[in-house]
Amino acid sequence: MSDRLAQVEALRKSRPRSRLIRWSAMLAVVCSVLVWLTSDISLADMFSTKRLGHLDRFITNDMLPAKLRGDAFTWGGLGDWCGEQFQLNGARAMLATLCISVLAIVLAAVAGAMLGAFGARNLMSAHPFLPHATVGHGDCSHWLDRVAQFTRLICILLRAVPEYIWAYLLLAMLGTSAWPAVLALAIHNAGILGRLAGETIENLPSQPLRALSMAGGTRRDVAVVGVFPMALGRYLLYFFYRFETCVREATVLGMLGVVSLGYYVIEARAHGQYSTMLFLIFLGGLLVMLADIVSDVARRWLQKGI
Amino acid sequence: MAKPLPLAPRLPTRRVRILTGIFLAAVIAFFGLGLSLGELIPRDSGFQLVLEFFSASVQPAFTYQNSEGLPSDISPFLFKVGRGLWTTLTYAVAAMSLSLIGGMVLGLFASASFWERRHPAWATFRWTVRVLIAAMRSVHELLLALVFLATLGITPGAAVLAIAIPYSGTLAKVFSEMLDESPREAADALSYLGAKPLQVFLIGRFPRALPDIAAYSFYRLECAVRSSAVMGFFGFTTIGLYLRQSFENLHYREVWTYLYALIVVVLILEVWSAHLRRRFVA
Repeated sequence: MSDRLAQVEALRKSRPRSRLIRWSAMLAVVCSVLVWLTSDISLADMFSTKRLGHLDRFITNDMLPAKLRGDAFTWGGLGDWCGEQFQLNGARAMLATLCISVLAIVLAAVAGAMLGAFGARNLMSAHPFLPHATVGHGDCSHWLDRVAQFTRLICILLRAVPEYIWAYLLLAMLGTSAWPAVLALAIHNAGILGRLAGETIENLPSQPLRALSMAGGTRRDVAVVGVFPMALGRYLLYFFYRFETCVREATVLGMLGVVSLGYYVIEARAHGQYSTMLFLIFLGGLLVMLADIVSDVARRWLQKGI
Repeated sequence: MAKPLPLAPRLPTRRVRILTGIFLAAVIAFFGLGLSLGELIPRDSGFQLVLEFFSASVQPAFTYQNSEGLPSDISPFLFKVGRGLWTTLTYAVAAMSLSLIGGMVLGLFASASFWERRHPAWATFRWTVRVLIAAMRSVHELLLALVFLATLGITPGAAVLAIAIPYSGTLAKVFSEMLDESPREAADALSYLGAKPLQVFLIGRFPRALPDIAAYSFYRLECAVRSSAVMGFFGFTTIGLYLRQSFENLHYREVWTYLYALIVVVLILEVWSAHLRRRFVA
């Protein structure tokens, strides 16, 4: 019995361990504790008496539409008011947000597919998929390897800057239309989808691609006939996964002055109509949940077969 | 005899149908927004701005671009960049530490594997949690920040909480999926040996999903840094605030310094998490 226990102990001791993981975890814990102890961030301050007074006034007064405050409140009245608001700006805001995100994610998907193809190291090597070409080893000095490296760098730059900042910069350049929002979302997501597409291509089973290559297919032939259809299924899953984030992000880009939901939210806030603001935020939440369901259903449908 | 290859045109496959649908949707969206391609070309002042802005990208500022009128005892520009980055990081870390706790608790309750071998009535509770998670995720952190600003006024805690709520939801959703997709053989074996449901879950299931959970958390930290940077646009003292001020003052070289600083931080986090993932998988 003790022999068995010793074996178990030996097995436990020989488990793979990584110093990097342990140090990272420790650093994460220490940093979290330090941030709460030393910085000016305090959740207690959020609930100080002054702020609670604020909150109290907001809930009893500002939160409700003017004609429903105090004794005048009825649920029916609130329902009517919501209907009015929905017809006034709500429906338009939701539709614009949806259109922005759909157009943006499609542009991002096209750009991301290109970036992915040019960033995939197995496709962009001197002898794609041929037996003596091994990814990540050996000679990486061919100019095509440089192309792949450069493309990956571009992807990183595109996705490192948040959508909101892209939109802010583009708005100053292009003026007020929906383009800044669409392009901002498209740029950021192209960076993300480009990386995901590149990883997908690199992880494809190499045998069929090698067969095409050895049968005399050029790089372009292999890419169009082999890589594209093989990677498409997974890429579409990523597409829908990014679509829901895109809708979520599109709701706020309007705050910069583009006609998405955020624009009407900011408008309402500027006029002190907090009830309208809250209702529009609620509509935004509904839209995101809908997009969530659509993307979930689409992904499941795709996974069932080609 | 081998089955003959189909010669007649087949019905479009799922993927072809979905691709067609996607492109149709994009065309409808394009016309629905009333966009024209001509608007993509910046005009007069916009064009000038594009030129100036992008020519500034090769010479980011290391000192204040225009030091006239600044008080003489002002701290150097790079200090300001560092301070902005530091605040951005502290907000992100604080928000992530809250989200990890929230996401883990909610993620456990939302996963099917946690409730396996328990009374089926718990399913109702699980679905309630799942709806709660979906609701938390659905409102963007900037909209939440607006609500907190309106109800509580400006305080760093508001930005942190605004980020932490949707991030908890996202983490919970992904954690629950990872738990449910983790290999179940060890858990089944423990269960046959007579272990209690909680033991089965904590020893057989949870550790198998832990590498994925840790790797994903690191990726979300990177996202939190971006979110916290953007919070600056609402008056919190993260890097977004300084970036906006510099841009409004037409100090484009300073803007590029902030952008590069943000990119470098994101890059470091990305390389780090990539290394972590490799260790986990190996």
